[in-house]
Amino acid sequence: MLNEIKLNMNEMPYPPPKEIIEAAQKGLSNLNRYTNPKELELLREFLADYSDVSKRHIILSTGSDFLLREIIHVFSKGRRVIMVNPSFFPTVQCAKEFATKLIKIQLRPSEFNLDADIITNETNEPSLVIVDNPNNPTGKILIDREMAEAILENKDVLLVVDEAYYEFSGATFADMVEKHPNLSVVRTLDKAFGLAGARIGYLIAGENFLDAFSTFFTFLPQSSLYAAIEAMRDPSYIKKNIELTIKERERVSKELEKIGFQVYPSTTNFLLIKTNIPDIARELKDREILVFDISNQWLPGYIRVSIGTPKENNIFLSNIKEIHKVHAWRGHKP
Amino acid sequence: MEPLAKNYVGREYSMKKIGLIVNPIAGMGGSVGLKGTDGEIYKKALRLGAKAVTPKRTKELLSYIKSRKEISLVVAPGKMGETYVRKFDIAFKLIGQTPKETSAEDTKRIIGKMLNGGIELLVFVGGDGTARDVYDAVDSKIPVVAVPSGVKIFSSVFAVSARAAAEMVDAFIEGTDLTEEEVLDIDENAFRNNRLASKLYGYLIVPNVKKLLQAGKEASSIDKSSVDSKNEIARYIVKHMDKETLYLLGPGTTLKAIANDMGLPKTLLGVDAIYDNRLVGIDLNEKGILKLLKKYKSKKIMVTPIGGNGFIFGRGSKQFTPEVIRIIGRENIILVGTYGKISKLECLRVDTGNFEIDKLLSGYIRVVVGEKEEMVMEVRC
Ligand SMILES: Cc1ncc(COP(=O)(O)O)c(C=O)c1O
Repeated sequence: MLNEIKLNMNEMPYPPPKEIIEAAQKGLSNLNRYTNPKELELLREFLADYSDVSKRHIILSTGSDFLLREIIHVFSKGRRVIMVNPSFFPTVQCAKEFATKLIKIQLRPSEFNLDADIITNETNEPSLVIVDNPNNPTGKILIDREMAEAILENKDVLLVVDEAYYEFSGATFADMVEKHPNLSVVRTLDKAFGLAGARIGYLIAGENFLDAFSTFFTFLPQSSLYAAIEAMRDPSYIKKNIELTIKERERVSKELEKIGFQVYPSTTNFLLIKTNIPDIARELKDREILVFDISNQWLPGYIRVSIGTPKENNIFLSNIKEIHKVHAWRGHKP
Repeated sequence: MEPLAKNYVGREYSMKKIGLIVNPIAGMGGSVGLKGTDGEIYKKALRLGAKAVTPKRTKELLSYIKSRKEISLVVAPGKMGETYVRKFDIAFKLIGQTPKETSAEDTKRIIGKMLNGGIELLVFVGGDGTARDVYDAVDSKIPVVAVPSGVKIFSSVFAVSARAAAEMVDAFIEGTDLTEEEVLDIDENAFRNNRLASKLYGYLIVPNVKKLLQAGKEASSIDKSSVDSKNEIARYIVKHMDKETLYLLGPGTTLKAIANDMGLPKTLLGVDAIYDNRLVGIDLNEKGILKLLKKYKSKKIMVTPIGGNGFIFGRGSKQFTPEVIRIIGRENIILVGTYGKISKLECLRVDTGNFEIDKLLSGYIRVVVGEKEEMVMEVRC
């Protein structure tokens, strides 16, 4: 198990600095106590500062997936939910279960463009629009400011933008939240900050969302909270990890293209790859390399591969080259 | 009596009898840049030095089947089956004869014998053309497992790979529910000219294997069987049907599910008409449809896209012709399809042969994929 190379969950392959791990360990010495609300406030302050919004807009939670679920539970009543397909799967699954009506807009290769008109056409009734931006799994920025403004103009629409990969893409709507009460941005420390095991997510909530969350209060796990505070005290450590990841992403992409795979431009820490080799995800799994097979929810022949350490990426590349060779004589193009 | 094969071990009574038939020439066009091996193309492929692909697929299939000990195969001699089976420790029995140059007729004839011999499942290796031959011979008598070995395969009846096919065989042995999947009639000549002309040819029954769960929190699975999804769509549609509207139901199992939910029969490949919970037309052609359209004021078409290529209105449809579509109007077209089918389509397609109608149909449109769920798809021409 431990030898597996995990390129299936878009984690940061590098552990955070030792100060953060020590902070988490310190949290363990207080296990019989609930977290101190003052320390929760401190984290909110740090996050508000980091996101450049006032603290009242920041809502903490264990993992951003949990916040997305909460939003669907609370705001899908009396509204149709509009999402793109494919999208972060747990959110889709939750909407499928709880929404009175779910409308999914199919993204199509090779551009994966989301037409502004489609959303405005579909929002002629009260709607909750949830877009992961950049989108998982295409890695593409789907909506720009102009589009967001157009959607937000309709006061019957709530727009939730999932910015799980913001630190990689650099694109955010966080600064629009104070002006637009019907906008919220979801973020996480699980990705770029390398804290997936700590599970800290936060919502930058527009005014219309705040009421519903006024009673929403989570005592974060002590260790997670300490790790997050330490991380936010000096977030500069993420910079070189992000740079290396982006550099590796471009290298892996070029290598795959050389073999003949179609790889799409990404603004995240993962790549979307198209392949004609059937069951490639399973062949990689046989070789203890885990990638994400998207064919259950979308078009056949697409996998999503997270960017690992240079060494992990090399192992992935050499294995995929071998698999490709085996299939080349079977008549499959990459 | 058929002769017993050398590794026949006499334990057949406790084992499942499974037919295996291989189309030795399927998929040969691909290696030399041709599409399909219909008719004369096969000879051209040979001249160009095409190599057989089916042997490898068949070997892969056999090597991945886990329940080998519980299976007794019935195979045709030589390259239509026997050759590959001999290399594995698997009980088998020979049936029929394999000529030097094999044809569709051989496939059908041998399957006929297998059916008479009491096989419970038929596994075949080939392409869309082979699937049509199998459909002609098997129809819905027994379930099948289709192993893809063609260049470009469109029929949804096929497993994604030989390995996935092996899992379907194992699932069948263990016991699983069944579902219907499409067999398409691809016009290979048109396809070679870069036009995709296909229509629904029929349905074969396959073991309904749910996709394997993937590890991790993004674990994804098609959570409902396709049969359940169709029934869910049917319930939703029927609940919202208007008594004073004429509904023209196109081909396919999803539309059949809708009629069945109302307690009405439905032709699988034809267009049937419903008004006020009654059947008012069966297996209609254009003339029959136009007659009904004159009679009723409010009218709607219900269709499901063809799996794999997304055609909603294709050239050569004897029923929903450009004239019919013009009268009905875009806003009166109701599209339905399971999420499993629709999410796998890049877009929907129309090719009615009438440019204006194609233009009218293009743009974004909604497809009902569940009781509470719709997908917005682009229609292209
Ligand atoms: C688009 C998107 N949103 C949200 C999440 C969930 O992140 P968290 O770990 O904060 O729950 C992920 C994780 O993969 C994601 O890809």
